[in-house]
Amino acid sequence: MGKRAFVLLGLVLAAFGLFALTQQPKPLDPFEEAKRQRQAFLETFGVLPGELFVQQGKELFLRKGPSGKTLEACDFGKGPGVLEGVYAFLPRYFPDTGRVEDLESRVYTCMQRVQGFRPQEIKRDEVRAITAYIASFSSKARIQVVPRHPQEVAMYNLGRELWYTRAGSRDMSCAVCHDRYAGQRVRLSPVRSPEQGLGNEWPAYRFEEDQLYTFEDRINFCYESIGIPEPEFYSEPHIALATYILAEATKAGHTFEELPFFTR
Amino acid sequence: MKEKAVLALGVFLLGLGLSQVGPFRARLEAALQSGGPRFAQVMLAQDRAQALCTKYRDRLPADLVPGFLAEQKALIRYPQDGRLLGDWKNGEKVFTDPKRGNCYACHAGDPKEVAYGTMGPSLTGYGERGQSEAVVRYTYEKIYNAWAFVPCSLMYRGGVNGFFTPEETADLVAFLLSPESPINRR
Repeated sequence: MGKRAFVLLGLVLAAFGLFALTQQPKPLDPFEEAKRQRQAFLETFGVLPGELFVQQGKELFLRKGPSGKTLEACDFGKGPGVLEGVYAFLPRYFPDTGRVEDLESRVYTCMQRVQGFRPQEIKRDEVRAITAYIASFSSKARIQVVPRHPQEVAMYNLGRELWYTRAGSRDMSCAVCHDRYAGQRVRLSPVRSPEQGLGNEWPAYRFEEDQLYTFEDRINFCYESIGIPEPEFYSEPHIALATYILAEATKAGHTFEELPFFTR
Repeated sequence: MKEKAVLALGVFLLGLGLSQVGPFRARLEAALQSGGPRFAQVMLAQDRAQALCTKYRDRLPADLVPGFLAEQKALIRYPQDGRLLGDWKNGEKVFTDPKRGNCYACHAGDPKEVAYGTMGPSLTGYGERGQSEAVVRYTYEKIYNAWAFVPCSLMYRGGVNGFFTPEETADLVAFLLSPESPINRR
């Protein structure tokens, strides 16, 4: 199961450690820094960490579950086995589950309903890799999340409400930074609004954390940093926020980055 | 007569509309619960002020502002000895600590710190304002409860929410105002 990928990844990370040691302490422009790190990976290994996750995800995608089926039997929105561009339309309503699902929760429910895994057998890291694999088929695709089904509209409205909810001991909400102060920085991190394309870079390899982050991972990171406990993976707050953010990015005509992206 | 009927219908529809707020709230609470008990607990524990800011998308109607400010002002506590200007060295620790002040998330301060955020105004050279009673008091109260000055501002209510004590707030004031503080040294 992706042993080669893991060995390669290990090598890449070890080299990255060495590379990081030689860096000067002065922080650079975050976008420049990400470009530089990406280039260093490419020059040293000819491969990006994100590609290794994609490769691992592909192996997991084609692995048979207890039912004997692979994820090729899962409908991600354009029919079973079709992956081209599906991520750009998610989250959306799926009649078979009767729910709005983002890519990660769709992987999660298909692993249960189609492949026959029990929920406790599904490892989060596997869902991450599979998500990266499927999203890679929507690299540079135009984001096309337009709520139409009543449940999609309901999810959008819930997401908008969560977006504006001030809560926790830091008195924060998504909107208070990502709308009113979009274009500014939190420490060195650039903060964007959905209108500026927020959400168009996930899943991504974050070199600062040395991990693959999906959209849900990134939303959790945000909640954690504003002192609100993270919502559980595949839960409605995640799907609602993704629907709202990506629908707003759609209105502004944004496209995804190269997926999985390489970022700070 | 016709106008009255239209008005009555309008009032009826308005009432109907307002009474329908319930289902959305119930749906929202169900969604929050699906995020797990820890997430739901914090999101549902909004105080009155947070709920108002959420409702009005951080833009409070003018008629609510005086009451909001007065309510927030009443939450400000002061050090027992009444001194609002404390120890700048301890203030620097609170200012810098990501788990307490976390002020560099949004503000520039000590010019040596390059990893500062830009959402709030730069505090470098803040001490140029001098140390008059008015400046000290404003600085203290603003740090302790920012919402007593700007309703629903991004700046959180650090003192009210317990990230620093009144004494530590006085230390933060000293970090901003003391001529020896790196914020004011040239």
